[in-house]
Amino acid sequence: MTAMRRLHISNAGARNAVIAATSVQPPPPPLMGKDGQATTFRRFVAAGEGTLDADLSAGLGDNYSQALIDGDPEVAFDVVGRFVDATQTVLLTEAGEPLFTAPQIVEISYGPDGGELERKEPTETPATVSDALPARWTGRKMPIGDAVRKFAFKRTLQLQHVDGVTFDFLYAMAKELADEQVMVLLGAGEKGKEPLILQLNGSPYRGFLEGRVDGERYILLLHLSNMELKSPAAKGGQEVQP
Amino acid sequence: MSRAIVVSYQGFETVFGFKSVDRTALYGRRRRVALDADGKPCTRASLLDDGSLLLRSGMTGQGYFTPDGRFLKQGDLEAFTPDGISLPKVPSTIGVPQDLQGPVSPAELLDLKLASIYVLQAETLSPALKAELDGGAIFRFAFNFREDYRAETAFLLANDNGIFALVGTPVMYEWSKLDVMVELPADEMDTDDDDDLDFDF
Repeated sequence: MTAMRRLHISNAGARNAVIAATSVQPPPPPLMGKDGQATTFRRFVAAGEGTLDADLSAGLGDNYSQALIDGDPEVAFDVVGRFVDATQTVLLTEAGEPLFTAPQIVEISYGPDGGELERKEPTETPATVSDALPARWTGRKMPIGDAVRKFAFKRTLQLQHVDGVTFDFLYAMAKELADEQVMVLLGAGEKGKEPLILQLNGSPYRGFLEGRVDGERYILLLHLSNMELKSPAAKGGQEVQP
Repeated sequence: MSRAIVVSYQGFETVFGFKSVDRTALYGRRRRVALDADGKPCTRASLLDDGSLLLRSGMTGQGYFTPDGRFLKQGDLEAFTPDGISLPKVPSTIGVPQDLQGPVSPAELLDLKLASIYVLQAETLSPALKAELDGGAIFRFAFNFREDYRAETAFLLANDNGIFALVGTPVMYEWSKLDVMVELPADEMDTDDDDDLDFDF
């Protein structure tokens, strides 16, 4: 499964082109089923209006177990079991009523400890890479071993040519990096010093190009990182429960 | 032994306690919140497309269903390949010694679709392994947090900030060749953005 986008990129000589960038995914997980028959994972209605615990407590008191046995008030027979497919999102007020006017939106920043740091009006963050602005080859190279031990690369885009000219363009980049066994940092913005932001309000990423060459074939990968490999403060990590 | 990553290198076992670490734990996060007329945070609900029911939190369930609509409990499920070949369960590796493979090329780690990062705290650390990690070596080992049908791959490495296990699934990239071109997408699109800006409405 892949998703493709356009990517504007320039090389060490400041020559630029728009090429294809594909997000390559690992093989899908196994099919789940019974007796060789595949199943589908679906969402369904489990409770009707007014049948949640808080509703029943409000109507029947906290100790309503006998009422459940006597009259099944928790089961809305007309809707329970119905599959949920397409839905529309509705905002509810704190009182649980649908909101019929546009909400006020605030952007809240939280620190690593979960504490609120700042609350402000949201601002739009434009992309720093676009058809007008290329991701630029900075010339700052790093051995692959150093890069993978310093940064966590959570996204990778495979860069592919769209014609013969861009084949030469990308092949040359891949070969230079493969020959030197290094990755090169890409920059963005007018001066090429900003992080890569690939879409409006997207995350800023450090982007490193990695190249592989086999004869006349190449693989050119843009590895994206928004996180260094660091240990969080004492309270930052999450305990894991097998 | 439980809740430990145990690896074996040159006949010696090393035991690590572990914690997950993500971007939020290091840098915090931002989220956008919708407020009602009183300045109170809104909650989100789903309206069925035909408008017949407003689904509030707690009103839905989810599960596996056969094509004829029969619900299957998790414990009754089996896994198989698209060819119909049944797959065995892969046990959890937590607390179970795993052989370290390598040192491996750092480029191998770049073929990993990274899913989880754990910062490791050595309870016992073999001197030979410590020397290798301090020298920049990277090792691969099998990892499976819970018993399921597909084991993941983990890489063990160290830097000045500690020892880490990076866990995920390997990805295969195809070679690009001159005579195989892809079509340039017409419009900007992105379906795989792991954004740190939550839209909480």
